[in-house]
Amino acid sequence: MLDLDEMKQQWAEHDKKLEDSIRLNRQVLSTLNLKGARSALQRLTVGLALEALAWSAIVIPLGGFIYDHGGTLRFAVPGIAADLFAIGMLALTIRQIVAAQGIEYGQPVAAIQKQLEAMRVLRIRITQWALLAGAVVWAPFAIVVCKVLFRIDDYSQAWLWANVVFGLSLIPFTMWVSKRFADRMHNSPLLQRLMRDIAGQNLTAALAFLASLSQFTDEGQAI
Amino acid sequence: MTTPAFEEHFQNLLEEHKKIIYKVSNLYCKNHDDREDLAQEIAIQLWRSFPSFDERCRFSTWMYRIALNVAISFYRRENTRTRYIFSDNERLLNAIDETASEPEHMQPLYQFIESLDALNRALVLLYLDGNSYLEIAEVLGISETNVATKLSRLKKRKEQKHVGLG
Repeated sequence: MLDLDEMKQQWAEHDKKLEDSIRLNRQVLSTLNLKGARSALQRLTVGLALEALAWSAIVIPLGGFIYDHGGTLRFAVPGIAADLFAIGMLALTIRQIVAAQGIEYGQPVAAIQKQLEAMRVLRIRITQWALLAGAVVWAPFAIVVCKVLFRIDDYSQAWLWANVVFGLSLIPFTMWVSKRFADRMHNSPLLQRLMRDIAGQNLTAALAFLASLSQFTDEGQAI
Repeated sequence: MTTPAFEEHFQNLLEEHKKIIYKVSNLYCKNHDDREDLAQEIAIQLWRSFPSFDERCRFSTWMYRIALNVAISFYRRENTRTRYIFSDNERLLNAIDETASEPEHMQPLYQFIESLDALNRALVLLYLDGNSYLEIAEVLGISETNVATKLSRLKKRKEQKHVGLG
């Protein structure tokens, strides 16, 4: 078996042969450029921008709802709670867009990978917090939606508690489903990613990669 | 706004350094389709970042950075990848002679590299490509001393494997 320096020599010989044996297909290259194909980061940014638009579409009408029902506490309070949640989600989405815009792939590998992984950790935590907070905000949202869509003015304490309990019970149920079935979702990568985010698998992997990055940039660390 | 001359300039530089894309794709992906997807992803990112390329820097350093950043992210993303072109005739890099581009005697080297994590894989590729410690440090964003230490440890690890197998 060869050592690394001998392998380097072997690699150099291989490299010379590669020059003649591979061809760059300029037609494919032009097609990719002309088609305006998006890089992974651009696709992520577009997705986040759509998400921000969706949250804006919730925040603005909720503002109108609060204005219309400012004098009625039983509607104003749920409206404010739901709006605060939506505003928080919108702010976090904008924060991710700003972080994505700041990533320049032409910078050194360790720095860019740290930025990308920190962004991934942020995204996973937002997903987890959205699940937790969403379960609590479920009841205020239900009150607002019932009022706007079905003109239901009266809700009982029992109805309110039933919705709170239903929202909270969704947390362990979603986590259980995610942990149990995430690995089987091969046909739906996006759903699988979401389930792994909720189950905490992706967060564990991202934190481990961040730790290995720190180890890599630290001088004197063993490989 | 890009002009045809700008695109031509970019394509010429890419032609000159096409081996970087080929080698990075081969080292980070096992199967042919994934390699092609990664090669295209790298080409797209290079094209998108090209307007911000500082001509005073070496093109190869900049290209290594982008190719490796894309490859490491691609490697970690696994399932949520995008496929741009499906046809076998529409590959970005075509190997005229498959045996010359992937000779059998290189397999132990590829196996050794595959046993490394994504970051050390980048380090070894840069070393094998004949880059100086300074160049490797510039691409990876670590110090020259760190490069030297890591390479020396990798060499030792390789020797130990050698002895262990012997």
